[in-house]
Amino acid sequence: MSVREYTCVVCPNGCPLRVDVEERDGCPVVVSVLGNVCKRGEKWARQEVENPLRTIASSVPVAGGDFPMASVRTNRPIPLVKIRAVMDEIRDIRLSAPVNTGDVILHNPAGTDTDVIATRTVRAARAG
Amino acid sequence: MPVNDTYTDVLIIGGGVVGCAIARELSRYRVRVALVEKELDVGFGTSSRNSGVMHAGFNYKPGSLRAKVDVRGNALMDDLCRDLGLKIKRIGKLTVALDEADVPTLNRLKEQGDANGVPGLEIIPPQTMQKLQKGVEGLMALHSPSSAIISPYALTIALAENAAANGATIRLGREVTEIRRPAAPGESFEVTTVSAEDGRKETFRAKVVVNSAGLFSDAVCRMAGITDYRIYPCRGEYYVLDKRLDGSLSTLVYQAPKPNAPGLGIHLTPTVDGNIIIGPSAEYIDGREDHACTADVMAALRKEGHDLLPSLRMSDFIRNFAGIRAKQTPPEVGGNLDFVIEDRKDVPGFVNLVGIESPGLTSAPAIAEMVRDMVAAHIPLAERDDFNPRSGRSPFFFSELPPDVRADMIAENPNYGEIICRCEQITKQEIIDAIKNPLGAKTLISIKYRARATMGRCQGGFCLPRITRILRDEFGWKPENFLLRSVRSPLYAGHVREDKGGDVR
Amino acid sequence: MTLAIRRLKACVAVIGGGPAGLAAAVAARNAGCGDVLLIERDRILGGILNQCIHDGFGLHTFGEALSGPEYAGRYISMFRERNIRSLEDTIVLSLAPASEGGLEILASSRAGLVAIDANAVILAMGCRERPRGAISIPGDRPSGVYTAGAAQNLVNLENIQIGKRVCILGSGDIGLIMARRMTLEGASVESVFEILPYSSGLPRNIQQCLNDYNIPLFLSTTVTKIHGRGRLEGVSVAQVGADRSPVPETERYVPCDTLLLSVGLIPENELSRMCGVEIDPVTSGAVVDDTFMTSVPGVFACGNVLHVHDLVDWVSVEAAQAGAFAAAYAAGSAPEAGIPVKPGDGVRYTLPQRVSGARDCTISLRVGAPWRDRSIVVRTPGSASEERRIIKRTKMVRLHPAEMIRVDLKAADFAGASGLEVCVE
Repeated sequence: MSVREYTCVVCPNGCPLRVDVEERDGCPVVVSVLGNVCKRGEKWARQEVENPLRTIASSVPVAGGDFPMASVRTNRPIPLVKIRAVMDEIRDIRLSAPVNTGDVILHNPAGTDTDVIATRTVRAARAG
Repeated sequence: MPVNDTYTDVLIIGGGVVGCAIARELSRYRVRVALVEKELDVGFGTSSRNSGVMHAGFNYKPGSLRAKVDVRGNALMDDLCRDLGLKIKRIGKLTVALDEADVPTLNRLKEQGDANGVPGLEIIPPQTMQKLQKGVEGLMALHSPSSAIISPYALTIALAENAAANGATIRLGREVTEIRRPAAPGESFEVTTVSAEDGRKETFRAKVVVNSAGLFSDAVCRMAGITDYRIYPCRGEYYVLDKRLDGSLSTLVYQAPKPNAPGLGIHLTPTVDGNIIIGPSAEYIDGREDHACTADVMAALRKEGHDLLPSLRMSDFIRNFAGIRAKQTPPEVGGNLDFVIEDRKDVPGFVNLVGIESPGLTSAPAIAEMVRDMVAAHIPLAERDDFNPRSGRSPFFFSELPPDVRADMIAENPNYGEIICRCEQITKQEIIDAIKNPLGAKTLISIKYRARATMGRCQGGFCLPRITRILRDEFGWKPENFLLRSVRSPLYAGHVREDKGGDVR
Repeated sequence: MTLAIRRLKACVAVIGGGPAGLAAAVAARNAGCGDVLLIERDRILGGILNQCIHDGFGLHTFGEALSGPEYAGRYISMFRERNIRSLEDTIVLSLAPASEGGLEILASSRAGLVAIDANAVILAMGCRERPRGAISIPGDRPSGVYTAGAAQNLVNLENIQIGKRVCILGSGDIGLIMARRMTLEGASVESVFEILPYSSGLPRNIQQCLNDYNIPLFLSTTVTKIHGRGRLEGVSVAQVGADRSPVPETERYVPCDTLLLSVGLIPENELSRMCGVEIDPVTSGAVVDDTFMTSVPGVFACGNVLHVHDLVDWVSVEAAQAGAFAAAYAAGSAPEAGIPVKPGDGVRYTLPQRVSGARDCTISLRVGAPWRDRSIVVRTPGSASEERRIIKRTKMVRLHPAEMIRVDLKAADFAGASGLEVCVE
């Protein structure tokens, strides 16, 4: 059994948490959580230990636009362990203008339950 | 006159301020002049790393070469700066006696200066000192009105560009590796250079070789079979202060020198562009290119700054740099030997300059005259009638021009309306002119020394991405080829996403 | 005098089109000012948000975790919907009170010089990063040393890969965000060094930018020397003592080709100084009252140029207030604020520095060190003529220098006080 320390990020209180963690079948499982002022903290700690979720952001080149890159992000958190696989898919993408904020660039990348969406609008550059 | 293949009449080794001054001086005549510089631009050595002071000439022994070329160079500077379009500020200097022991020193300096022909020297009392610089303390001071400040790197570049405009060949990124002396009288030297960019070798054949290689002048001597000299590098560190303090100093203020000190001491020097620099320190080091700044010296400079400028804040120290003096004496001996400016009898046609430290900047045009006379003993020099001494440049940055002049210039050329370097208000046109410089120098520091970009309080944080965009999108440079100052200092590793073309969505 | 200098008039001129400027312009318009002009030096609006592609913006404002460009996009839409004039690719060169009253701005763009006469000006220029020279790191000056924000611009907006093996000095959020960004784009981030004994970044960022990628964070550690004649080759680092000086015996060498500096933000107040605005030496921003007006009548300030923020949501709130007050000023109201507000024990600064007692207001502050389970107390300082009185006590579980604290005050609670003091108890 091991002890992990986290600062809870659910609210500005930032409770310092002590989490007892056991390995079962190679996966970490929370045994107990101490230090949280509310139940949301305990729930967060469990998620963070057993299946940490993250959002990621990156940038994709846009051809023929009034801006060279469109920033993108996942619109739902994905498992931490899937970040590399999702980044690999994002790295292959090249876009052409126009791109609008909210456009779905990748649907369910690496089998995750998220979309990668554009977060910048890039209009087609005027010719000449 | 252009160099014919690799044949030239005069080959100048070293593109510092002295080498470039020689190139410009010789370009007045019907003679083929070539200059080789191992860095990727002129002036990257000591010439760009100093206080920028034009010394009056009272610090040097009467009859010495230093005294002669400094006083002559100082006298030439107004015309030279006017012709080349450079700022010069004759702000004068106070050399201050802090205690009684300094008084005989001041008297000696006055006598020395008078004997050297320094104009206007006067020992003045504290009330007169206060009029020249409020708040300055001391028993008395030697006032030298002919002391001045210039931009040392701007001068070096302007000399080289004017030499090139008048037909001299300037080759950057060429390091001399071998010199073969003429086999018989009347024959040429063969000088081998290696290119910094691709390692290619070239051979220059020259009737006369001028060694103005500064910190490497002893190495060039040895290539020519001359073993009389050894250079001892002595580093001086500096801080650059924010322009906020512009106006704190109306004149140069130095303490009376102590005997055998390797330099003139740490002082505050205003620059022609409105900064103040603190320094230099003096430390003998091993490496001729070790321009590092050290914690101890930096702390000493900061303390000096706070002592002399009580309103100084930490955020006012915006940058450090260091320059290295080419001293001819080791640390145990100290002091300063006279300049070596000689036409070697044992190696006819080899004009040798060794140990040109301070006042080398001031002396450069006068040293060029001396070298010209030495060259003339080997090659007849006939004046060209189409020599143009003027660069046609304005000494002022665009931001220093009056608003109505600027407005008219922007109307004609919108690139003057687009500000790229926010801190110094440098326009896109000035950046473009720097990129397209006539010497073909291709480093970021080359842009910095010509256009002043990245020299402000944010040190390039704002303008570097913008300059990068201009170089890549308008000049087609590949990011992995952007260099800071040498082939070993690339700025970037390439693109994050390489071009693949098309829509893969 | 040439005809080539255009003259424009504006009721309220906003300098800066980032989150502060946009929110201020929108609020000035909403408050009834029909003649707002926003001046932005970049070719696009949005300011620093354009390069902050990570999410976490807008939790308070929109109830969503948006990226910087999206947050900016929302405000740009509000801005455009109201048909507010903007001059992009235009940089302000000078700002000064005009002889006939009001203020005069001189700005430059490819279209020429333009002189703008304004009744009120809102300063929203944001801040710049502290460069290497200002923190005096000894050693060589090779290529490969960047401030974190400049690196973020190059990577996110210019598609430039700045290096492969990265060390970061400074554990503020910008440094942490770039640690993750560089890692995701294939660089190896060796370590993050922080001179303080605690990180100045949000705990979420320590977890999600460092721990997730096994990037070690060394506290009480600083870079003592930079090595490399051409490109950066490595850095010397050492632990620091309580006085923040390096302990030489702890010095070690870390090979790397890129050093990112995240060592502080400095409000960009060159124009403010030019105009005679009084600057607070602790915030490095203007001294303002509860209408966000500076010491120069008609000149207002908000956002990072006033004091460095950590949440853009509060920038928007602050800027909206400044915008509304600037519009009111331009329409003729000239409120006065005579009650000084000062930082007390444990508090590094308070803003605004003066309040009126005629309006409700919000005191923004930062504590000087991390605390847990303390109260922020707003009280009158007490004097011969006035007893010390507690105006408001706010209990807080977590207080940290990296997180701005905001305390709302009702005018009725402190009207008539001769001064206010804010401290940690």
